[in-house]
Amino acid sequence: MDNDVQDEIATTASIDRAAGSTDKIRLQGASKTFHVRGQAIRALQPIDLSVQHEEFVALVGPSGCGKSTILNLIAGLLPTSTGTVLYDGQPVRDLNRHVGYMTQKDTLLPWRRAADNIRVALELKCRPTSRSEADEKVARMMDLVGLKGFENHYPSELSGGMRKRTLLGRTLIYEPETLLMDEPFGALDAQLKLVMLDQLQALTQQRRMTVVFVTHDLGEAITLADRVVVFSARPGRIRALRDIGLPRPRDVFRIRFTDVFARYHEDLWDVLKDEVTKGTDI
Amino acid sequence: MSDEVMTRTVALPGQTGTDKDDLAPESQEGMSARHAVIARIVIVAALLGAWEFAPVSRGIKFWLSSPSAILSTLWGWMVDGSLWAHLGATLSVMVIGYVIGCAVGIGLGLLFGFLPRLYRVLVPFVAAFYALPKIALAPLFIILLGIGMSSKVALVAITVFFLLLNSTIDGVRDVDRDLVQSLRLMGATRIEVLRKVLLPSALPWIFTGARISVRYAFTATLLAELIAANRGLGFLIEFNSGNFNATGSYAAIVVLVAFSVTLTEILTRLQILAAARRH
Repeated sequence: MDNDVQDEIATTASIDRAAGSTDKIRLQGASKTFHVRGQAIRALQPIDLSVQHEEFVALVGPSGCGKSTILNLIAGLLPTSTGTVLYDGQPVRDLNRHVGYMTQKDTLLPWRRAADNIRVALELKCRPTSRSEADEKVARMMDLVGLKGFENHYPSELSGGMRKRTLLGRTLIYEPETLLMDEPFGALDAQLKLVMLDQLQALTQQRRMTVVFVTHDLGEAITLADRVVVFSARPGRIRALRDIGLPRPRDVFRIRFTDVFARYHEDLWDVLKDEVTKGTDI
Repeated sequence: MSDEVMTRTVALPGQTGTDKDDLAPESQEGMSARHAVIARIVIVAALLGAWEFAPVSRGIKFWLSSPSAILSTLWGWMVDGSLWAHLGATLSVMVIGYVIGCAVGIGLGLLFGFLPRLYRVLVPFVAAFYALPKIALAPLFIILLGIGMSSKVALVAITVFFLLLNSTIDGVRDVDRDLVQSLRLMGATRIEVLRKVLLPSALPWIFTGARISVRYAFTATLLAELIAANRGLGFLIEFNSGNFNATGSYAAIVVLVAFSVTLTEILTRLQILAAARRH
């Protein structure tokens, strides 16, 4: 068993996956340079990365390495400086409406109660939903993200973790085919984080979502992802790619105590720790 | 803006004062609310008495008038109904002008928020007209629209319009762009972004603008009536002064004071109500 895993780790470091029709997202030489007060800051070196349909990819790296920039490129919030981003084979030019994006920043609408914040996507013309259907979906989502009883609280009356969960509910409720998540559970305590990871795994598996998940927590990445991508310190560049061959569904509460998990962790940590220490020089 | 500051400083002490009165009869100054009221009545009575019974010559009395004469003039106006006609004229000019100004100002403000490029092109014109004291346009409106109601409504409307336009634009520009972006990503159309993000976000600004501009509307109405009119409170003051009728002028000013105190009181109540609703 241990040997098998060892082999798998060794052989699946291949970066070049056959560019087939299953590519949901494909970055081709995509880079990003920001211009701040006349100074060019290179956030992301040209990178190639493919995310397959229904794949769960975790991006790990030191802070400021351009992980969030990649999500912004995929969402179409930023244009690439060089290269292209393809979504379903089409270049992303304007806002990418196929993705649900849970940003690091709290973007809840402060004048809406928690339940109404979660509901907002169902009120849009592009997603005709009857009132009763919306009510039912919202109630189920409030329950799912553990906010039952807080329906009528305004964001200012919720804790940081509750706001994050409201954001998650708001993003999941309209079932986007691709989910972009930028350190979604960073502010949560360890126990709650595990509960959320469990829910996220169940939801994304059940709804067959493609997920690009940015985190600084390697354990979180291994627990959830089909593939972990480790980035270098700024300007970001892919340092390593690993397929995580852990069978699904994974027991997020216990998987971190297994030998297989420990091996993945050790292997990836060796790559990551060099970058993390480099990152602190900046 | 100075008007805004004034409103606050006037409204806040009054508010805390009433709270204190309700909770504890003895305020920090060691004087109960009832005593303060009695003191006020005494002061007013003394002033009115001095005014009424001042030992002055008949000539001076003509210019000074007296509370009893003013009251009887007021009573005469009430009985013959002219007071209500003038009040009605002032009120309708003010309300119609205010509503038009608010509607157009908010509408155009949102349009500019919706089309930032249009705003960028037009901003110098908006700024130039905003800086212009609108009262300077009154004579122009009178030659264009006559001395009837429409010239006064136009003056009030344009005064209110620019105040509301600016506060709406400020509100829309203050919106968190990330909120707009997150809704756009969900698939919201521009109209939906306007309805669900821009408008609610700008609402406190719009309310503030609407509240401040009531006073400006009042001033504009009065000034327009002072310049040229045949009805209204401003006309009443101007007409009586023009006829050297001091008593009539004082009476008209008394009406004006009552009118503006009522207006201020309504505004303060609304403000407290709005603040209570917000939380």
